Amino acid sequence: MKKRLLMSVGLACLLNTSVSYAITGGTTAEENAKLRGEYPMPSGEMLGDNCSACHGTKGAEFNEAMPPLAGMKKENFIKLMKAYRENEFPSIVMHDVAWVFSDEEIEAMADFFSAQKPEEWTQADWNASIKENRQ
Amino acid sequence: MKTMTRRELIKLFGNAAIGTGLLGASNLAFAKQSAHIVIVGGGVGGAAAAKYMRLLNSDVRITIIEPQPQYIFCPGSNEVVADFDTLETLTVDYNTLKSRYAVNVIQDYAQEIDYTGKSLILAKGDVIHYDKLIVSPGPDFKYNAVEGYSKELAEGDFPAAWHAGPQTLTLRDQIKSMPQGGTVLISSPVDPYRCPPAPYERASFIANKLKHTNPTAKILILDSKDDFIFHDVYMDFWKKEHGLGTDNARIEWVPAKNGGHVTKLDTNNRTLTTASGQTLRGDVINIIPPEMAGSFVRMNGLVKGDWAPINSKDFSSKRDKDVYVIGDSAAADPMPKTGYIASNQAKVVTKAIQAELTGKEIGTPFITNNCVAMAAEDWGMTVAETFRYAGNDRAYEESYVMSNPTENPYHRHIRAEVAKNWQRTFRKDIFS
Repeated sequence: MKKRLLMSVGLACLLNTSVSYAITGGTTAEENAKLRGEYPMPSGEMLGDNCSACHGTKGAEFNEAMPPLAGMKKENFIKLMKAYRENEFPSIVMHDVAWVFSDEEIEAMADFFSAQKPEEWTQADWNASIKENRQ
Repeated sequence: MKTMTRRELIKLFGNAAIGTGLLGASNLAFAKQSAHIVIVGGGVGGAAAAKYMRLLNSDVRITIIEPQPQYIFCPGSNEVVADFDTLETLTVDYNTLKSRYAVNVIQDYAQEIDYTGKSLILAKGDVIHYDKLIVSPGPDFKYNAVEGYSKELAEGDFPAAWHAGPQTLTLRDQIKSMPQGGTVLISSPVDPYRCPPAPYERASFIANKLKHTNPTAKILILDSKDDFIFHDVYMDFWKKEHGLGTDNARIEWVPAKNGGHVTKLDTNNRTLTTASGQTLRGDVINIIPPEMAGSFVRMNGLVKGDWAPINSKDFSSKRDKDVYVIGDSAAADPMPKTGYIASNQAKVVTKAIQAELTGKEIGTPFITNNCVAMAAEDWGMTVAETFRYAGNDRAYEESYVMSNPTENPYHRHIRAEVAKNWQRTFRKDIFS
């Protein structure tokens, strides 16, 4: 446990945005929280549909290096996203993505993704079918 | 009105229809009185709007007006310029949208909006009635910003190659056949333009290729700006890999403040003239012109200046509440003009339309742009941008985290893999 803790501290330093690893800008965490309070929360679908370019439509891309989100257990999604947000779990991109979300937004996305079928989005070899159609 | 569930729809059209080209199926399948969503442009914004509209609503009729039978993705086209991928990889057609999502695709140019009659007039004369019109035609180029440059020259010996297609291949072939020790001149435009890091990614990819095929060749980026996204990462890469700052630099960047802004092209002598009065000869000349909203958007009174003002809540035009403008043509600053943004704007619009059709409140929009770029196949960089709604008449509030130079090759490598992964998944998200 102690070793794991040390490792996570080490990784947090390595990945920490304050050690010239990344450039941050725009609204701060406080300003983000203030904006969130001014308008109704975006729906889980509104938030979750932003993930599709990397994780597939409705999170249902099972053939790529990015993990699928469709059908993910709600509690696992929440735990992981919060860990990314706090930079407690090593990541290359996900801390940069996750730091803006509130607990409620993470929960809404968890509901959205856990309700999706854990099946590859439609056909596996979509590119081949397009080539076939072209001929 | 008979309501079909999504499952019934897929049962009816999904599997059976694949490959049979179900053009016009929607006319048979949907009641005449169901709302008609018409989309101008079958690029990333338009295709995403069609697909995500259908995922929300199995009843509406959806029609895309697109002059080309296929779409070629721009992300990935710098790889083609440097000859380590082909346009084939980036090319998709509309068969899946037609068959799986019962989208009607009309191959024609949209010309004129009749705002009072709520109809769209096409080049071949057809008149299409719409209940909601989503406009996503991409940008047009201001060729005349560089004296002596033109659309005809771009299609000939002086490719812009900023829409993936034939010009991409011309530029690739010119670089391949350039004499030993030749010079490539790249003119990079003022903001805003499609895909902000792409001129620098392109220059890097070309330099990587020339290092092996033409090691004494030079690349000069003549910039109309003083800064660009991932500036420090690219500078670091050019120093480490291409001798930036030495006498033998393979690549050089001239910012506007040092006279980088290009004013004139001389085709006979193959030279570019810059704002500082310098004249430079290029064996290959790649002018990336500044941009403005697509001609359809400008011709139909949707613009103020170069871009189309929108209501931040739902991307409806300030001109007409039933006409929406998304993608590069929209005045959506501070959002950059990327396919990622266009597709997420499409999702906001379709949710707003669905709310209206079902008598619900339009929800709070939320948009991200988690974009990627590369300097080499194992040298990637990422930016995670979030855009929060801050009022209908106000710009979105942006926050971002982006890559800085790193000495850790693992980080560069994994970000490059993220970039490649993103391209594949993104193409599939929009078109399948």
